[in-house]
Amino acid sequence: MSRKIKGERLEQRWQGVAVSEGLAAGRVLRIHSGVRQRVYRATLAEDEVERETRRFRAALRLVRRQLHDVRRKAERALGAEHAYIFEAHLLMLEDRKFLEDIESYIRDERVNAEWAVKVVADRLLAIYAEITDEYLRERSSDVEDVIRRILVALSGEDAPGARLTHDAIIVAEELMPSAAAELDFAHVKAIASDGGGWTSHTAIIARGLGIPAVVGLRELYRHARTGDEIIVDARTGEVVLHPTSGTQELHRTHVAAQAAAVVTGREADGGAGALRDAGADVAPEPVRTLDGVEMTLRANVELPAEYAGVRRFGARGIGLYRSEFLLSQHDAMPSEDEQCAAYVELAALTGADGATIRLFDLGGDKLDGLLESAGERNPALGLRAIRFCLQREDILRTQVRAVLRAAAQGRLDLVLPMISDITDVRRTRAVIEEERARLQTEGRETGALRIGAMIEVPSAVLVADKLAREVDFFSLGTNDLIQYLLAVDRSNDEVAGWFRSLHPAVLQSISRTLDAAAAASIPAVVCGEMAASPAYAFVLAGLGARDLSMTASSIPRVRRMLRGIEAERARAIAAECLECATADDVEELVGGRLGEGWPNLFPPEILPAPNRKE
Amino acid sequence: MVEQQVVVKNRLGLHARAAARLVRTASAFRSTVRLERADSSASADAKSILSVLMLAAARGTHLRATAEGVDEREALGAVCALIVGGFGEMEE
Repeated sequence: MSRKIKGERLEQRWQGVAVSEGLAAGRVLRIHSGVRQRVYRATLAEDEVERETRRFRAALRLVRRQLHDVRRKAERALGAEHAYIFEAHLLMLEDRKFLEDIESYIRDERVNAEWAVKVVADRLLAIYAEITDEYLRERSSDVEDVIRRILVALSGEDAPGARLTHDAIIVAEELMPSAAAELDFAHVKAIASDGGGWTSHTAIIARGLGIPAVVGLRELYRHARTGDEIIVDARTGEVVLHPTSGTQELHRTHVAAQAAAVVTGREADGGAGALRDAGADVAPEPVRTLDGVEMTLRANVELPAEYAGVRRFGARGIGLYRSEFLLSQHDAMPSEDEQCAAYVELAALTGADGATIRLFDLGGDKLDGLLESAGERNPALGLRAIRFCLQREDILRTQVRAVLRAAAQGRLDLVLPMISDITDVRRTRAVIEEERARLQTEGRETGALRIGAMIEVPSAVLVADKLAREVDFFSLGTNDLIQYLLAVDRSNDEVAGWFRSLHPAVLQSISRTLDAAAAASIPAVVCGEMAASPAYAFVLAGLGARDLSMTASSIPRVRRMLRGIEAERARAIAAECLECATADDVEELVGGRLGEGWPNLFPPEILPAPNRKE
Repeated sequence: MVEQQVVVKNRLGLHARAAARLVRTASAFRSTVRLERADSSASADAKSILSVLMLAAARGTHLRATAEGVDEREALGAVCALIVGGFGEMEE
């Protein structure tokens, strides 16, 4: 239909997975992740050798400055231990043998610095390639990273961060943590990458900072050029390269609608960008529906980079702290003292509202090389979470002691992941009480600790009434609950169409769990990603949820939605949903009722649409 | 010259972070500090991170540490303490 006009390129569309919501338009900034550069050999005249050596040293100084910067940024965003890898990179730049080898190669062979760097580096990498230990061998990627930096510095190109304009949209094959740490996020409007997943650090950081991000965009990197116009719609997972004027116009209307929603809302809470600029902390005022039902909104947190969002977005404390982050920081099990310090920090951050720490949810996809993975054939159903903790009691006891000690200095709760049988709760409680007694004998102070169960396995839902008598609270993890209930691997694109948050079986399980908690008079917090979507959160409220925990940046829009609805009407609509036979029926019902009832709160694009396929 | 036998105890061996700590520690002394695999298959200058990484010392590797110079005892003690202590990153 549209003929290619000279100078104008055809619009191209990609469908990916949205890992951090929002909508942004801007210009592509390609970030290459360790792509090898071509290096040529040039022979120097005798009198050029000295200058070449000086040029090499100048490049080293530049790289050193960059690395110091990167390390500082990484420390701030990801934690000091995570930044330590850059210490190793800096030491490589100070490695006398390495530098002397390069300089003498320049002198003896009379070649350009690039060639000398490449020859010496290749020799090194050849030796590393012989290393049999897989983990140690992989460290050659650190050497490659440093080499790449030196070559870039020699080429006179700017560091990636320096080229950021105000409307940069990062496009990468895969944004590695080191590259992510280097970016000045204040200037990044969105991220789009070929690879990566929901749990990648980039996705987590993007969510924490409220930047839209879409991943799983095959070959986008190859097609996009720095400076190209691009739209990233992380509400639908769509990315448009070279948008036509029509598409741009449509996009502007959406942005305007978003902005209007901000104005009509009672607080500046619509566009993530606007919020980041405003930067003001939102006081955690009570959230009430129009008919006076009080709701509590908390934050899910993993990275220190997300701590700032807890206050900024007005969360009532942390509803879910994914403690596994501590492992990624240390390359090894963090000690009791290190863990205790991290938990005390959470308690200090959240004050009277408190923080709920989830025991290490290890196993399956999260082991990545840290612990000897048994190479399970079915990790999602394998030795993970509470099962792993009970198997590796040494790890469990260290974590329990750290939490008990930290609880003496603030309000902390502990939640046990992947409970499928009440016996798991009893065994864990026994360990906790033993460690409490031991700490007291040692003369250490311990604090009161509420113990909760994650409800994410169907068997736990079915015995929820009995489970409710053995724990102090429930925490509904909707992501895993849907995965286990519907038997859908949520990291497998092929079956993404079967992952239906509004499946009647999911709603009945949530309803049953909430009822069991209410009957036993214990609190229940819903902390899966469902809580972060206004339409889903509406249904959750209708099913009786009063306590939701989500990515902090999602809190404002959920809060605005809740303040604009009546809990009673939500209850009636949820009751209708429970009568439905299929996920399609529920989605159609919810889409229709919300769109008619509250058109300003639920514009069409945020409503579930049945069978939304290409 | 002084020397001591040590065994790498931390789970990941002399990986980048551990190696960085080792090099920083060794570099604080004036003596020459070297690490050699007990089977003599490789040896490294403890002040060069690339050299230390090349040892590929995984957990359980037996090493011979040597130091030579004015502060050789202190240097050897500090480096060995780091290795024996598992670089402070033991599971327990």
